[in-house]
Amino acid sequence: MANKLTKIKWKHYINYIAVAIVTIVFGSLAFAGALPSSALYLLEKIAISIILAVSLSMVVGFLGELSLGHAGFMCVGAYLGGKASALLEPMLRGVPAGKEIALVISLVIGGVVAALFGIIIGLPALRLKGDYLAIVTLAFGEIVRSVFMNTSTESFGGALGLSTPRYNKNFLFIIAFVLVLVCLAVTQNLIRSKHGRAITAIRDNEIAARATGINVTKYKLAVFTISSLFAGVAGVLYSYSNYNVQSAKFSYNYSIEILVMVVLGGMGSINGSIIAATLITYLDNTLQTVLTGDLAVLQDLLYALILIVIVIYNNAPALKNFRERFNLQALLKRKFDPNHQKDDEAKWDRVPTKIEMNEVLSVDVQPQMSTLDPDKKEGV
Amino acid sequence: MEFIETLLNGLSIGSTYAIIALGYTMVYGIAKMLNFAHGDVIMVGGYMIFLTMANIGNPVLGLLIAVLFCVVLGVSIEKVAYKPLRGASPLAVLITAIGVSYLLQSTAQIIFGSAPKMVVVADLGNLTIGSLTVPYYMLITLGCSVVIMVALSLFVKYTKTGRAMIAVSEDKGAAQLMGINVNAIITITFAIGSGLAAFAGFFMLMKSPSLSNTLGAMPGIKAFTAAVIGGIGSIPGAMVGGILMGIVEAISLTIPAIAPYTDAIEFLVLIVILLVRPSGILGKVRREKV
Amino acid sequence: MKSVFKKVLAVVLATVMLATFAACGGANSYTANNTEFVIGVSGPLTGAAAVYGVAVKNSAQMAIDEINEAGGLNGVKFKLEALDDVHDATKVAANYAAMLEGGMQVSLGTVTTAPGLEFTKLSVEDNVFFLTPSASGDKIPEFDNGFQMCFADGNQGKVAADYVNGLGLTEIGVFYKSDDPYSDGIYKQFKEALSSSIKVVETVFTGEASDFSTQINSLKDCKFIFMPIYYQPASVFMNQAKDIIAADAVYYGCDGFDGLAGQFEDFSVIPQEVSMLSHFDSNATDGAAADFVKKYTEKFGAETLNQFGASAYDCVYAIFNAMKAAIDAGETIDVTISASDLSEILKAQFTGDFTYSGVTGTDIKWQDNGYVEKGAVKYVLKNANGK
Repeated sequence: MANKLTKIKWKHYINYIAVAIVTIVFGSLAFAGALPSSALYLLEKIAISIILAVSLSMVVGFLGELSLGHAGFMCVGAYLGGKASALLEPMLRGVPAGKEIALVISLVIGGVVAALFGIIIGLPALRLKGDYLAIVTLAFGEIVRSVFMNTSTESFGGALGLSTPRYNKNFLFIIAFVLVLVCLAVTQNLIRSKHGRAITAIRDNEIAARATGINVTKYKLAVFTISSLFAGVAGVLYSYSNYNVQSAKFSYNYSIEILVMVVLGGMGSINGSIIAATLITYLDNTLQTVLTGDLAVLQDLLYALILIVIVIYNNAPALKNFRERFNLQALLKRKFDPNHQKDDEAKWDRVPTKIEMNEVLSVDVQPQMSTLDPDKKEGV
Repeated sequence: MEFIETLLNGLSIGSTYAIIALGYTMVYGIAKMLNFAHGDVIMVGGYMIFLTMANIGNPVLGLLIAVLFCVVLGVSIEKVAYKPLRGASPLAVLITAIGVSYLLQSTAQIIFGSAPKMVVVADLGNLTIGSLTVPYYMLITLGCSVVIMVALSLFVKYTKTGRAMIAVSEDKGAAQLMGINVNAIITITFAIGSGLAAFAGFFMLMKSPSLSNTLGAMPGIKAFTAAVIGGIGSIPGAMVGGILMGIVEAISLTIPAIAPYTDAIEFLVLIVILLVRPSGILGKVRREKV
Repeated sequence: MKSVFKKVLAVVLATVMLATFAACGGANSYTANNTEFVIGVSGPLTGAAAVYGVAVKNSAQMAIDEINEAGGLNGVKFKLEALDDVHDATKVAANYAAMLEGGMQVSLGTVTTAPGLEFTKLSVEDNVFFLTPSASGDKIPEFDNGFQMCFADGNQGKVAADYVNGLGLTEIGVFYKSDDPYSDGIYKQFKEALSSSIKVVETVFTGEASDFSTQINSLKDCKFIFMPIYYQPASVFMNQAKDIIAADAVYYGCDGFDGLAGQFEDFSVIPQEVSMLSHFDSNATDGAAADFVKKYTEKFGAETLNQFGASAYDCVYAIFNAMKAAIDAGETIDVTISASDLSEILKAQFTGDFTYSGVTGTDIKWQDNGYVEKGAVKYVLKNANGK
């Protein structure tokens, strides 16, 4: 029995456990009425950010494609789910657990419709590579936003936004964190399965992956669809955590904010995405509520400086030695376990990025001006 | 007549986009990075023109100072924020570029306040030929843009530095082996791109005198779209893409039924073009090898 | 390195968060430690709409400073808590909660309508009284705790349409911002109330657009152009249109037009007539408005002077006067009074016979549904050149 327990790869479950503990601790505090609204709102936002970051991390970190339209899929989920809940709420009034039924139905509607959009956009767009795919997803997000912005007042509210029922703030964050667990379960089981290996193989070398018989299009589309599905779910949660869904929120800036979470968390690291999403959302919220009045102008300045410093510290090749010297993990290991060896199997959620983005993203400049033989320059 | 006016208007919007897109495309071609802060350099250029106009009152001098300042700014941004990340993942550079963009916008608000400034660069009036009314600023924008584009093409094609730029964009490693100072070339590219951004700022202020710290954000994104439509990395592509975007924008705005969707329509054009030509209009389809 | 480092960070963070959360437990005791009356407001202090939020923050602060210098309310001073929402509804909940937990007792709501829709529903949960200076959406005073100092959009649209119907025109031009609730709200009502015999040339813009040459071209034959937009894009439009649209045309706007003249070094470069229907004119030369303009300009400069600020200045004084009137009527208002108790007192005042005279009007009254009742004046900001 004890043997069995030690065989469980605890590293696989650490994030489930962490999220579950957070949910239980804060959940019980909320039941006891010890949490003020500011904490409840912040927890909702953090959960939504985590779902967005983890789902985007599938596309960017594991599939190796750059998407700048995640907020667009979220927008679809928020509007469709929000509309569904606004319509269902009066119908189910009086029915036992009517609100919960409405919530589940709108989650399904928002998620599925966003996933459908993922397929519609993914089918043609996945022919494109690198920055071309990135700009098409950005364009898609802006189109979705513009279309919802110009709807009539009766359908989706137009410029005034769609008014949606807000779910009880004492419980919504618990539901949101349960959905975080669902999102983690789906994502991690996919990534750790043989399909996940196929996906990372596509990221590391698409042609080689294709040559080994992996159906690249199928996998790309599947990842894109699942990612959009969870973006849609996050959108429905968003509509439940606000009284109004306004399309102005879902601009490319929001997509970029989600991308920042994924990149800061480390490409291909789900735990990293979770932590970065939490940190950034917390930082954003703190800057917003602490820097009031005349100090408000410093918010963006501080945010920008923190962002630049962290990215340079984490990524600059020149700082590699410095980073290794102050490497917390290495320090701890040296202290406690000199013979520590890495467990490769436990690393499925942190496959090191071997991708040469330069190669994926590059497109030839000015072929007609080139004096080089185009065949020679690529066969390095 | 109205259609010709719309078309001319589209050309002048488009040539501004093209000038911005050139900055995007050159930096992309050589440093292989998306410089999201490029749009905000335009804004900084705008504020420089504003300062000169308020203190000296000469628009040409304003343009000159703006170009100089933007060149210095662009080069320093490259040195401080992008150069340490050379060799790191391009996504990391993308994120610092976004950071720099926020930084420039909020610094501008701290220095110049939250109220947008009115900068009337020059009051030039209209040229009237028969029933055709064309503001002079449009002609100036068009003329300058053509000169800039021709000059840039000649520079890249015939000067040693220009050819070195092509070499670096083709193959950084090989270029280095041939004795090209890659770092210097990247710096020069940023300098040229930022200088062009100052020109774009000048054109935008000539057209519409409102200056705020978000001046460059949307034009920046649209110019990036234009660069991709034309085939990112390609200089003539940036011009074609920019002009196309401008004309689509102008026409769409004149039709009331679709006017509110103008931004969406521009992006739709992008999607359609990329579906037909996945590397943009003038971009080369890349062969892949293992 | 990263994973362990991050885990440690996460634990630290969670502890910090837990500590901060637990520290401020216990509902509705937030005002217990107040030593001043706290007025909260959420508005765009950064971003594209910052000029409106900054005007409100400055003016409200100015009013509060004046009240405090004059001794406050029976010796108790006031304090302004102004948070930034970047004109984004998503940020309002956090601002609202932070203000409430920071001891806010009464609020100026939000500066703009889009975030205001969120604020309206949040504030009714805790019964926080708010009097918004400038969130003019029709739905802002939806519940009994919300009041407006500005005209509601729908009413403005209707009044403007009545005015236009009386002019006997056959064709008018319209230039509005379709993604802005203010502009869209006014125009929708305007269109409904406009006589069907008048032909409308409709042009729109969205976002932060700053080039209107295409729209101007479509409008160039119109002699009357209705522009329910804010002064900033309006000034850009006029500057671009000055040689294209006929010099005898009339630009007609709503309260958003206020501040236009300040955008130009010399307003007469615009040859057309510019007028607006509003409650405040920042070029006022006499009366309370002129006093306000003078004080504001001395303190903060003319750059952010607009009707948002004037309205906010009035809001603070209206709340102050109402509190004073309630005390005179026998209510007790303690410095630690809870938001909800103060709300009941103020609601009774504002729906009662309380009237207020200030910068943006005299004998201002409020309807039971929260809409303001005061005179809207047609201000001619500028006559056509040569008149």
